[in-house]
Amino acid sequence: MNVDTSLAIEARQPAPARALLFLLWRSFANRLRSQVARVKSPRYIVAVILGALYLWWALFRNTRAGSAPLDSMLRSDITAVLASTALLLSSARWWIFGADRSALAFTPSEVQFLFPAPISRRGLVHTKLLRMQLAIFVNTIIFSVIFRGNATQLATWERALGFWMLFSTLAMHRVGASIVRTSALEHGQAGRRRMLVPFAVFATLIGAVLYGLVVAIPALRVASAGGIKPLALAFTRALQAPVPDAALAPVQLLLDPIMRAGSAPWLISMLWAGLVVVGHYVWLVRLDSAFEEAAVEATQHRAERIQRFRASQMGQARSKKGKLVSVPTLALSGRPEVAIAWKNVVAALRGGSWKTQLVSFVVGLGVLAVASRQASDRAGDAFMGVALGWGAMLLFIGPLWMRFDLRLDLPRLAVLKTYPLEGWRIVLAEIAAVTVLHSITIWSLLTVPVVMFVQDPQLFLESGATVPILVSIVVGVPAFNALMFTIQNGTALLFPAWVRLGTESRGFETMGQNLLTTGATTLVAAIALVFPIGAGALVLWLANDWGGWAVLAATALASAIIVAELWPVMRWLGSVFEHIDVNEVATTS
Amino acid sequence: MIDVSEYTKLYGDTVAVQSLSFHVAPGDVLGLVGPNGAGKTTTLRALAGILQPTSGRIEVAGIDLQKSPVAAKARLAFIPDEPQLFDYLTVTEHLQFVARLYGVHDAAPRIPTLLEELELTAKKDALPPELSRGMKQKLAIACGLLHRPAALLLDEPLTGLDPVGIRRMKETIAARAREGTAVILSSHLLHLVEELCTRLLVIRRGRMVAFGTIEDIVATRPELAGRSLEELFIALTGDEPATDITAS
Repeated sequence: MNVDTSLAIEARQPAPARALLFLLWRSFANRLRSQVARVKSPRYIVAVILGALYLWWALFRNTRAGSAPLDSMLRSDITAVLASTALLLSSARWWIFGADRSALAFTPSEVQFLFPAPISRRGLVHTKLLRMQLAIFVNTIIFSVIFRGNATQLATWERALGFWMLFSTLAMHRVGASIVRTSALEHGQAGRRRMLVPFAVFATLIGAVLYGLVVAIPALRVASAGGIKPLALAFTRALQAPVPDAALAPVQLLLDPIMRAGSAPWLISMLWAGLVVVGHYVWLVRLDSAFEEAAVEATQHRAERIQRFRASQMGQARSKKGKLVSVPTLALSGRPEVAIAWKNVVAALRGGSWKTQLVSFVVGLGVLAVASRQASDRAGDAFMGVALGWGAMLLFIGPLWMRFDLRLDLPRLAVLKTYPLEGWRIVLAEIAAVTVLHSITIWSLLTVPVVMFVQDPQLFLESGATVPILVSIVVGVPAFNALMFTIQNGTALLFPAWVRLGTESRGFETMGQNLLTTGATTLVAAIALVFPIGAGALVLWLANDWGGWAVLAATALASAIIVAELWPVMRWLGSVFEHIDVNEVATTS
Repeated sequence: MIDVSEYTKLYGDTVAVQSLSFHVAPGDVLGLVGPNGAGKTTTLRALAGILQPTSGRIEVAGIDLQKSPVAAKARLAFIPDEPQLFDYLTVTEHLQFVARLYGVHDAAPRIPTLLEELELTAKKDALPPELSRGMKQKLAIACGLLHRPAALLLDEPLTGLDPVGIRRMKETIAARAREGTAVILSSHLLHLVEELCTRLLVIRRGRMVAFGTIEDIVATRPELAGRSLEELFIALTGDEPATDITAS
């Protein structure tokens, strides 16, 4: 090699950090530019105006009056204990059952370009963390605005910093958990041994929390007789005992900057939370070094292994023994749209392990129903209330989670468009399957009253309202679900460039966006429900029976009106489907 | 079988395809060739009913694709260059799904036959993520052939296939043409086009520059006589202004 050549090579020393920053910045800028370019379309202009009005209402106008209760809620002991327990359980889930599959996921093009490039694994981890920051910033802003207000004792920026530290730490923890589990999968026995330490740590922490609850069972039993609030207070006191409190301490340190009142205590809590954040960062970097030392394979091999790891996370289409998860058989003849609905049911059974989750859910509910009713009548009533509340919440948030419909299929729009079916039939089939699945999920909550009825039939029969209301729930749920899923699918069809397609969840860092999306969906649903609910109320008023079988008649009428409303919507969405340009979807998939 | 008349596709001000007219008879295999970005995939997608033409008329088996899209689509099959399969359906379940979708009455006996023909029998219970690229391509083709389409549209059908697979695929396409299916095949593999196609449609920048058999094309450009198809292609699609060479 002559001198000139070696100088030239020296001048071209790789600068991976700059290249990664360039990639992130240009990807963000180009994505923003293409999104702005879409706003030229009238459909998107209307959506932007409506969206801006909604955001202004949801984030600014709507929070001023409610800031005082929100602030006091944030600073209550119950919130602190319940939030830290929830975060601990969430982190434990990442370790014990595997982190969210998107935690370590890189796009295929990133794998193609970055993994064979001279970039250390540490560089890749930093890329991942940096990219997560965009979603974290958006969520920090959303939550800070929601919890801001005149009555709040912390400045908005102070609480925002607290939220940012919390979300960033959780993001780092999730990535860390994912790296350790990947390592364990790739290094066989040695990897499994490495997993023992975090597994033992989290088992101890959860054990400590459970110990606190077990010790407090008599107190919880007494409190359960007083209703939900005394029970929640008893739970809080039980978890504030020294042993569970110690287990929850690291999580509480992170929550403190959000919950502290006044700037001086906030500053101290920030210092402690800062230590947790820095600790996580150092852990991630050191973990990375340990992983790098252990991994001596070629870079290409590494990319292949990660791809294999990602492939192994693609749902549970096969059991651990390699047997295919069984699905209902599709008859070869009959209405063609049934085939589309069947396909989506199969996706839910094999890709989302829906059946397994449902069975575990029903068994768990049954056991808790028996236990709570045996504890006391009040505890039973409280649990029934919790089950109904959860059901009501599922009606709104379930359609965001369960995505075995057009949101799953739109990336294959070109194939869908070749089917010999009118557009509305395809849209109807896509929505029908997921409506049925989600209705079954919500009906499963009726396990609680059914089990309690078996335990004590008299309890139900005494009140003439219970049975008609439960039957009304069974009747009303599918129509309501159809409405909610139509809104979700309609949004995906009308604004494919703005809607996340596919089934993968994106973790807690998009919680704020999900909150706003749920709010917007609920608003649209509320408008659609004005007439059905009005007609139902009219029936009850005319019958002058607000707790008997007239409720069922009112629900049936309201459901029928919802279906009647959805019919023209379905035909219109079918037309949208037929005219949507595949290129509009292809760029987002 | 496939009639295209003055088909034009615009994206805003950009002309993707302009005034394309041609006819493919039953048993014909039309090779659709052209450089990258010439408008081949846009044309195939319009013929499959995926894209709406800006203007012009497309008929499949005498049925207007714009006026009666469902009836027309029931008579055609489109195999894209990248197989689009459902991750959670097995190979056999894909075929059962298509059978129900297209109302294939004799699907039960046809499915094993097709699996055998495309060498997929051993993989009939496999899910797409467990298949190689070539196997996925074969499955997409099996799905396309199940309902005995009158018109078969293939976009780069040999991508990812091994030499044995390529030979079998060529036999499969030729057999369908012999049975009377009108085939349009888009490919950059000129030897495949030369071997299988009865006629050529050469497009460049969305416009037709040649249409007919190789002999027809050479007859209108005598200076190309004796040249290979590759040289013919380069001459027809090169940067110099193309002379419109069409033969009926």
